[in-house]
Amino acid sequence: MADAEAVDTALAASGDASAFERLYRTHVNRVHSLVRRMLDADEADDLTQDVFVRAWEKLHTFRGESAFGTWLHRLAVNVVLARRKTLGVERGRFQGGDDPLEHVSARRETPEISMDFEEALATLPDGARQVFVLHDVEGYRHEEIARMLGVVPGTSKSQLHHARMALRRYLDQ
Amino acid sequence: MNDQWMDRLSEYVDGELAAEERASLEAHLATCAACRATLEDLRKVVARSRALDDRAPKADLWPGIHARLTPGRRPGVIRSRRFSFNVPQLIAASIALVVLSAGGMWVALNQPQPARDAQVTPRPDGQLNSVVWTSRSDAAIADLQDVFERNKSRLDTSTVRVVQQAFATIDRAIAEARIALKADPGNAYLNLHLADTMRRKLELLRRVNAIATAQS
Repeated sequence: MADAEAVDTALAASGDASAFERLYRTHVNRVHSLVRRMLDADEADDLTQDVFVRAWEKLHTFRGESAFGTWLHRLAVNVVLARRKTLGVERGRFQGGDDPLEHVSARRETPEISMDFEEALATLPDGARQVFVLHDVEGYRHEEIARMLGVVPGTSKSQLHHARMALRRYLDQ
Repeated sequence: MNDQWMDRLSEYVDGELAAEERASLEAHLATCAACRATLEDLRKVVARSRALDDRAPKADLWPGIHARLTPGRRPGVIRSRRFSFNVPQLIAASIALVVLSAGGMWVALNQPQPARDAQVTPRPDGQLNSVVWTSRSDAAIADLQDVFERNKSRLDTSTVRVVQQAFATIDRAIAEARIALKADPGNAYLNLHLADTMRRKLELLRRVNAIATAQS
């Protein structure tokens, strides 16, 4: 219920860890899924923990202008993008030479490998994967994505198209 | 297959083509089965991506998160009754207390200043005057508590229960801080802790009252 979550947010901001745990239980699946889709699965647990710890530290800045889930999700995206910068994985990903179509289709042609849509998503190169998740799954606009990733909107559009073209092979999996 | 238009199909799906380009692409689609098939696939990809289920982590991550939460932010914890500070720390804390008391609390209260308010200044013996601002906060808390009592029926009963539990926790912290201050009235840390805890209660009351008011 909305009022309970709002009050839990207020309680957590007042230092109430139990209220914060309730918020965690409500939102952990969505945050974890976002992190897992944007980074490697083996980093998802650690990064999800980082997101919630960061949220606890920054709760005092939450003023309720948006839903707590929206605020938390944006924070999660920022944590993931910061992690990507730390890892340096974004370097060279947007400058071509990493064709998602070829990358995924090579996997698809191996008969013993059967991937569902989520697994196929994870095989995309980082650039196409970030853009696809942010745009198609999370609903960000190209202009926002371009700002977040430090690219021009045209690059974001191009990466999105390549990702969709690659993923269409997995619609029936 | 027309590669020129094939590469624009996602923009078409997203409604991002200019009117002239859209018309040209639609004219092409009428004659290109490959592009029509690809367009249909792309629409399915978009629909599929929006229908992805969120999955839970394999392990409960809360214990690891809880262990990393800053204990100092908990309102109900005074971890020691004995404190020692060096001179620079005491000076910094005293300045912070005066600023917090005279500025932060007054701004946080955000209400007309009644006549009983007074300047907050260190006492001549060097002890910090917490009585004035705590009485001011007590009055503000009482006012907001009255508002909450009047409006709480607008909230779900579970909401009211959670809020009252939180009030009880905060009240215990305030009581503990006041007891500790009786024994050590000049203690800068305790004064700051009391001010911070009362501020938390004020903020929580305001939030709950705002939510309750919005339910009408």
